[in-house]
Amino acid sequence: MQEVESKDINLKKLEAEAKANSTPSSFKLMFNEFKSDKMAMISLILVSLFILYVIIASFFINTSNMMSTNIMNYFAKPFTPDFWLGADAGGRSIAKQLIVGSRNSILIAIGLTAISSSVGIAYGLISGYFGGITDLAMQRVYDFMMIIPSFMIIIEIVNIIPSYNAISLTLILSMFYWMGTSRLIRAQTLSESNKDYVQASRASGTSTLKIIFKQIMPNVSSLIIVDTTISFAENIGVETGLSYLGFGLPMGTPSLGTLIANANDADNITTYWWTWLPATIEIIVLCLAISYIGAVLRRATNATQRRSTK
Amino acid sequence: MKDSPILLKVKNLRVHFPVRGGFWNRIIDKVKAVDGVSLTIRKGDTYGLIGESGSGKSTTGKAIVGLQDATKGHISFMDSDVTKKSARKKMNYNHDVQMIFQDPELSLNPEKRIFDIIAEPLRNFEHLNNEEEKIKVLKLLEIVGLGPDSLYKYPHQFSGGQRQRIGVARAVATNPKLIVADEPVSALDLSVQAQVLNFMKKIQKEFDISYLFISHDLGVVKHMCNHIAIMNRGRIVEIGTREDIYEHPLHIYTKRLLASIPEADVNKREEHHKNRLEVEKYYEQNKDKFYDENGEALPLIQITDTHLAAIPKNMKKG
Repeated sequence: MQEVESKDINLKKLEAEAKANSTPSSFKLMFNEFKSDKMAMISLILVSLFILYVIIASFFINTSNMMSTNIMNYFAKPFTPDFWLGADAGGRSIAKQLIVGSRNSILIAIGLTAISSSVGIAYGLISGYFGGITDLAMQRVYDFMMIIPSFMIIIEIVNIIPSYNAISLTLILSMFYWMGTSRLIRAQTLSESNKDYVQASRASGTSTLKIIFKQIMPNVSSLIIVDTTISFAENIGVETGLSYLGFGLPMGTPSLGTLIANANDADNITTYWWTWLPATIEIIVLCLAISYIGAVLRRATNATQRRSTK
Repeated sequence: MKDSPILLKVKNLRVHFPVRGGFWNRIIDKVKAVDGVSLTIRKGDTYGLIGESGSGKSTTGKAIVGLQDATKGHISFMDSDVTKKSARKKMNYNHDVQMIFQDPELSLNPEKRIFDIIAEPLRNFEHLNNEEEKIKVLKLLEIVGLGPDSLYKYPHQFSGGQRQRIGVARAVATNPKLIVADEPVSALDLSVQAQVLNFMKKIQKEFDISYLFISHDLGVVKHMCNHIAIMNRGRIVEIGTREDIYEHPLHIYTKRLLASIPEADVNKREEHHKNRLEVEKYYEQNKDKFYDENGEALPLIQITDTHLAAIPKNMKKG
């Protein structure tokens, strides 16, 4: 009994010693990297606050009320107490539409990124690790998905399906946006799976699935983080573009794309600039900020590019 | 040594790789990486497998550990057949047979901490609880001469010799009976080589491990091994005890390899040089006799109890 206890204390002491000498966690490394790049820090704060704000604020907005036409406010001027950013031809508040629309666009982009990146990562890892016939078959599927004009087909599907909402639209989009990620991950996996540590894992009796997702995946994590960030910015554009063309979210649901579509009217461009300019600026700022964040994440995951000295 | 039980028996092992080509990507040829290798490793042996690059020694080692499927032949471990993957899995083969890799830079996962690397075989085979696992890893680290402070570090924070010792710690974690060491020191500089080799000898005594020591460095092998097999072009050309090989080499390839060991004795430099030229001349003149018309080594013939060599039958008396 005595011996077990002394061993316990010993273990704790050694553990503490090990902890003190451990390398900083990757989370801490990223934080340090953000601290050393002001622009990226501002971007990170801006993006996260903005996303939080639109999600919370949209709870207080009654969408159907907001989207109802009110002829009295026809093209109301901006910077007034009732209409911060003015109103459109239907007398609907641009500011409120911007909040709800941003929420819709961003949530769809987050969902799309989560699904398509997970699928792409798993697809690339499996295809790259197994190689041979598996790889050949999976890459032909990939080729097929690459050559079909995805935008056209999405528009077709949206037209055929009688009723759809944000969730089903996200799922439809996810079917067509996993390929880029998968090819990137596959290329890296091909080179990783030939390294000796994979053989060492096999010799240690680790199962194939564990080797793929626990041994190889951490080694492509830098690629995954960067690619996911960049494709998030890209995916905001996907939904926005679709809604701009009028095939995105169903009628009466605001989105960044529908707001930008106001710019289709020559009158709106010259006279009623407040109907489309805020949404356009928002997308530019958002995408720029996200790409700054992506650059920092790339540096943080690659030891040779780090700027922070810690 | 003769009386200790047989640990591993490799019988007529062949590993052929297909060469694909042509319009339909058909198999147009095959590379005979390993072509009929037979070995017997007894308990407590350090068995040296020597050969030049591309002679198939690493492939033999990988086939024995189970990382490479055998095209033909049998591998049996302690009297049970382990040629098939399912058989290996059933008896937890890799619990008893482990491997030390050539380049510690590549064989340790750069994204994993030392604790996770050494604990990997333990997690798969021994199913200890967290505390026992940690104590075991700390003990292993102590055995290989690293402190507890290395537990949560990453491989890139260690020197080459330290990394290879971490690789050794991983290999001995499950107390295996046989370790296949695939050129364990060839990526290290000379001073570190001695350190790792002595250390491997030390744990051999401590844990009663047998080694299959794959190398091209005859100096290292002389220091480590009691049995030696020389491989050339996928086949074993000479096999015997250390004395058999170093004192009475018979095959021309063995002679040539032995002549290539660098000598530091400056006074006898001329003598060595002459000796080497002689061996080379003999090799050039007689190499056709030692290989058949396809350039493959001849079958092994028994010279003494322990000594076999792939020499022409009419040369046996010599």
